[in-house]
Amino acid sequence: MATTGNNSVNAKLVLLGDMGAGKSSLVIRFVRGQFLEFQESTIGAAFFAQTLAVGDTTVKFEIWDTAGQERYHSLAPMYYRGAAAAIVVFDITSSESFEKAKKWVQELQKQGNPNMVTALAGNKCDLEDKRKVEVEEARTYAEENGLFFLETSAKTAINVNDIFYEIARRLPQAQPAQQPAGVVLTNTPAQRSQSSSCCS
Amino acid sequence: MATAETVPSPPSSSYENQYPSIDPTTFDLIVCGTGLYESLLSAAAASAAKSVLHVDPNPFYGSHFSSLSLPSLASFLHPVDDDDRSPLSSADKDSDDDAVFDLLRRRLYSDVETSGSFPEPSKGFLVDLAGPRFLYCSDAMVDLLLRSGASNHVEFKSVDATLIYWEGKLCPVPDSREAIFRDRTLGLAEKSQLTKFLRLIQNHIASEESGDSEVQGVDKIPPESMEMPFSDFLKSKRLPPKIRAMIIYAIILANYDQEDVESCKKLIKTKDGIESLALYTKSVARFPNAVGAFLYPIFGHGELPQAFCRCAAVKGALYVLRMPVTALLIDKETGKYKGVRLGSGQDVFSNQVIMDPSFKVPSSIPPGNIMHKEKASSFSGKVAKGICITSGSILPDSSNVLVVFPPKSLYPEQSTAIQVLQLSQNVAVCPPGLFVVYLSTPCNDAILGKEHINAAKNALFLGTEVEKSDGISLSTNSEGAEGENKPVLKWSITYVQDQEQASFGAVCSCPMPDENLDYRCIMETTKKLFTTMYPEEEFFPASRAPDNTEEDDSLPE
Repeated sequence: MATTGNNSVNAKLVLLGDMGAGKSSLVIRFVRGQFLEFQESTIGAAFFAQTLAVGDTTVKFEIWDTAGQERYHSLAPMYYRGAAAAIVVFDITSSESFEKAKKWVQELQKQGNPNMVTALAGNKCDLEDKRKVEVEEARTYAEENGLFFLETSAKTAINVNDIFYEIARRLPQAQPAQQPAGVVLTNTPAQRSQSSSCCS
Repeated sequence: MATAETVPSPPSSSYENQYPSIDPTTFDLIVCGTGLYESLLSAAAASAAKSVLHVDPNPFYGSHFSSLSLPSLASFLHPVDDDDRSPLSSADKDSDDDAVFDLLRRRLYSDVETSGSFPEPSKGFLVDLAGPRFLYCSDAMVDLLLRSGASNHVEFKSVDATLIYWEGKLCPVPDSREAIFRDRTLGLAEKSQLTKFLRLIQNHIASEESGDSEVQGVDKIPPESMEMPFSDFLKSKRLPPKIRAMIIYAIILANYDQEDVESCKKLIKTKDGIESLALYTKSVARFPNAVGAFLYPIFGHGELPQAFCRCAAVKGALYVLRMPVTALLIDKETGKYKGVRLGSGQDVFSNQVIMDPSFKVPSSIPPGNIMHKEKASSFSGKVAKGICITSGSILPDSSNVLVVFPPKSLYPEQSTAIQVLQLSQNVAVCPPGLFVVYLSTPCNDAILGKEHINAAKNALFLGTEVEKSDGISLSTNSEGAEGENKPVLKWSITYVQDQEQASFGAVCSCPMPDENLDYRCIMETTKKLFTTMYPEEEFFPASRAPDNTEEDDSLPE
């Protein structure tokens, strides 16, 4: 959900794409500036947070990774819920991962937030000699489906910051989706009940 | 995949018809079904570094705790494969080492009756199978959501008001001293009695918490009173019947007739009553932007199992929806549980399996695998339920409202309280202008239970557009004259849910959602199941919370 405050925007961003396309590597490169050659499938974090400044606006990304639930196509509706942006990731050295990316785009469209900013990332573009998906093919597909497309490499950092920056740039224009603001659970100190109790 | 075609294909699977093959094939724990019990256990086990395979035959999360669209609800309550005699799979039988015991599916919903046609858009609704239900702001479930990080996924709205049906009218239940003062339905004497009583409870709780039993000038409830029936204790404080009913049925949410001390199925003792009152009191003040004591999750209760499954996945649990489990594998030599056979025909192995209550464990499996039936906390009757869509609020200008019909308030034979929860579009479960209303009451007999539900429906709503369902006598139409501003019923369903008790052991079965409005018993049972499986592990240790998110400094507000 993109929610606006004083020139600051909170935005939930979800990653989608097949296992091994490099979703987690992209986030880790963006958030920590690191790359691990053999990234494990699960990373053990519910989400990553990272802030970007675009002009006079601060975009605070809350980046959600699939936690492996994409592997057997078992993502919960909750995962997409309230997402202001999505990055669908495929591996340019695998035509199959590009085909799967198209299915994820369809899935995303079914979730039905028309204001969601969606990026298509052709990852592993450092592996030019193993390329199976042509730039033009992916670009055409992206244009037809209202996505913006960049080729990235989590390994060499090419276009990684750029894709998040471009999402951030497009976000403030997107209308925040309508969702009632609720009670967010927060951990209050244990003494809380003493002073403010109802019948005191 | 030779055996896949002998298995009924899972409902509305649009993505892939072929079952995937699971890798790896050996786990510490296999969990079948993604109801709340199973999801909590899966997340707790994954937090304790157990390897977990979590499967569900449905294409959605939540099992008997799901929030579904109206058409999906109707098909979930009327399962296609309810034929108990034909097992899901009888593919190739025993191998050399393992005996294969086919699992049957149990039918858990009965007496389903619908009236009216789906209000449009029928997919614009999210209805809870586990409703009516909410959380106390300070209960163990809220604490666990926070401790596990699952609270990152769920937002809540308050239940705005509580009403009690008393002498043919709906009366507000005050939740604070100010509210008691403002109340127009209570007399002056009643107000002062209630205030005095609440002060006594307040002081008692305060002295309990400070651990100092000899606080000067503070009345404490004597220990001998703590074991007496709570309703007798309230009588001894000379509280009038209406106030007693408010406390017992609308604040501590008892289901059974507590005035009937002799034959009450779950008699509440003073100490339990006071504990619940303390919980209520703490809940009222816990969150700054919550009103009242109760919370409802936006998008419905189905969010909670999803959130805990995500917690489990983050800790490494493997998730496969649309994957039936067809049989248990028992080691021929030792007679011990060894693994399960999946819908694909693939065998996967674990030390322990947990199943949702719709799986019926064959009675022929060697006895050592199922330890004992849980007797203490679970109850083994039925719950009669109703879900209504209405075009107006029970209480004008309120969105989410709890209504309680104490025993005997509708008619003399009404032996249990009927609990009603109205929800609005502000929790994103229905389109604007419409309301979803849940009704529930425990019962032994389906007919009597549904009579209770229908009587409460008639007291609350105008059933004009809806044809009266056959065979059920509608016993309370006496107040029809003043029914002008009652909300109109657009659609409704009534059904009866069986309660299944938990069983422990290497093959462990989870119960159904219980008959209570809150999650306290469910949490207790889950914890018990977990500690029986893993006595050496803590159930969601508190220290695990910080590694839930990277970059702690930028947590969302």
